[in-house]
Amino acid sequence: MTSEEQQGASTGPVDKQSTVAGRTGTRSLASYTFMPVALAVVLLLVYLSVSTRELDSAEQKRLAFDYVVSITWSHIELTVASTLLVLVIAIPFGILLTRSFARLITPPAIAGFNVGQAVPSIGLLAVFAIVWDFGFWPTVVALAAYTTLPVLRNTMVGLTQVDASVIESARGMGMTKLAVLTRIELPLAVPVIMAGLRTALTINVGTATLGAFIGADCLGRLIVSGFSGNRPYLTIIGAVLVAVLALLIDYLAGIAEDVLRPKGL
Amino acid sequence: MGNSKKAIRLTALAAGLTMTMAACGDDSSGGGSGDLAGSSFAVGSKEFTEQKILGQIAILALEDAGADVTDETGLTGTTNVRKALESDEIDMYWEYTGTSWTEILGNETADAPKDSQELFDAVAEQDLENGIEWIAKTSANDTYAFATSAETSEETDVTTLSDYAELVSSDPESASMCAAAEFLDRQDGWPGLQKAYGFSLPEEQITEVDLGLVFEALPKGDPCMFGEVFETDGRIPANDLVVLEDDKDYFVGYEVAMTVTEQALADAPELEDVLDPIAAELTTEELQALNAQVDVDGLPEDAVAEKWLQDKGLIG
Repeated sequence: MTSEEQQGASTGPVDKQSTVAGRTGTRSLASYTFMPVALAVVLLLVYLSVSTRELDSAEQKRLAFDYVVSITWSHIELTVASTLLVLVIAIPFGILLTRSFARLITPPAIAGFNVGQAVPSIGLLAVFAIVWDFGFWPTVVALAAYTTLPVLRNTMVGLTQVDASVIESARGMGMTKLAVLTRIELPLAVPVIMAGLRTALTINVGTATLGAFIGADCLGRLIVSGFSGNRPYLTIIGAVLVAVLALLIDYLAGIAEDVLRPKGL
Repeated sequence: MGNSKKAIRLTALAAGLTMTMAACGDDSSGGGSGDLAGSSFAVGSKEFTEQKILGQIAILALEDAGADVTDETGLTGTTNVRKALESDEIDMYWEYTGTSWTEILGNETADAPKDSQELFDAVAEQDLENGIEWIAKTSANDTYAFATSAETSEETDVTTLSDYAELVSSDPESASMCAAAEFLDRQDGWPGLQKAYGFSLPEEQITEVDLGLVFEALPKGDPCMFGEVFETDGRIPANDLVVLEDDKDYFVGYEVAMTVTEQALADAPELEDVLDPIAAELTTEELQALNAQVDVDGLPEDAVAEKWLQDKGLIG
């Protein structure tokens, strides 16, 4: 299933994309247009398949246009909210843990975030549903717990790879530590941090499907409904829609990466 | 995707079965001296607790009667177990009359006989065409049911489904409900229930969750006050829940009975003598208690099955 594939791709400590941070900045027009066109074709095929197929009552309900749009929107909300949560946790922590005064707490802090990724999302969801609540927020927090580590790692790697001599000369020019951080280190780390965020986004799109188990609306509804009612068609449509959404979001994040990359890198 | 996975699972099952059957051929020590001495069976079941317990009960009883038994319990989904039975990969498994009526034989829920014996007879007769025999009818009814906490029932004065329908019309906010996808999708589930009792709960009062979480939600009353359950579920008494009375007889009966291939029954007609006394003891309450021992107390299915058979004096 999509979510598993995406989780599998993220198990490495540092995302692959980060190691090629220096790849060429501009892409050809063709490479920008290929993905949206391909996704549009897939969506068209899904639409044709659904509209020409004889659906039973449950499939009619689950594949009604309004319903699919509403759960897709909820799915995007889950993805965006959890990624924003990751952003506000992982980046400040990443900065903090690379400061020289934090040397001592860095290993235990990383171990803590490691636990978040080691616990499977589905288990965390179940625990939240029991001890906390059902629905949107527990799902968002469970997703964020899972994807904080890659962003944190990438933030730290991005910051520590900045050449020490650059920082030294900046200090020598009389810049404060804060100025070095905001004007030298962070801009230079942006490509690697963005790569981590992009990974988090794609993992979150896939994993958000699990929200269906604890009462959060998402595209997982189609997958679960198809599975429990022995309607493979519903499951496949659900999985295809999640895959399309994941590729679309990854595509948009790729564009954001290109735009936000500092000039000259 | 689902189909190819199923196909792989079935192939693996068939391969595994061929090997175990071959192994059984060499092994003559398995047979005992009971009614079924010398016969061998493969017993299947679906993947959930109750089915696994029932499967173990059958296995232990058949072994006690001297048969050689292969354990094929825990197959996922009605469709798969049924396919295994029809293709002789297993010889028997416990099925539910209501499930067979709609899902397997393809009848309409509304046409199902209300009387449980009539439903059993109708299903048994139709299934003969498929070479499947129905024996050992129990009175354990694993039907869909609607439950709430004892507290909510008292506060809202809802004890029947008609009361619930009234509550929905007068105060939908306090009639919120949790259910799993299957119940919401099935015609003999939520859509039919609303039609039969003439009410319509607004979508925002429905929380779609995994079935197990219904039992977490109801005692708290959050995010729902009412929820879908299965009547034999051991977590109903464990969580102090009340099942609302189905006063319009809407839910179809889902009584447990053994489905066995015609061939297996013809080869060993004594099967009925072994299984009938078990069926006579299996009531809804008994099954609820058995399920609770596994789902609530965490005991293994086979131990629970063995102890029950011994307590009832059904095995030696």
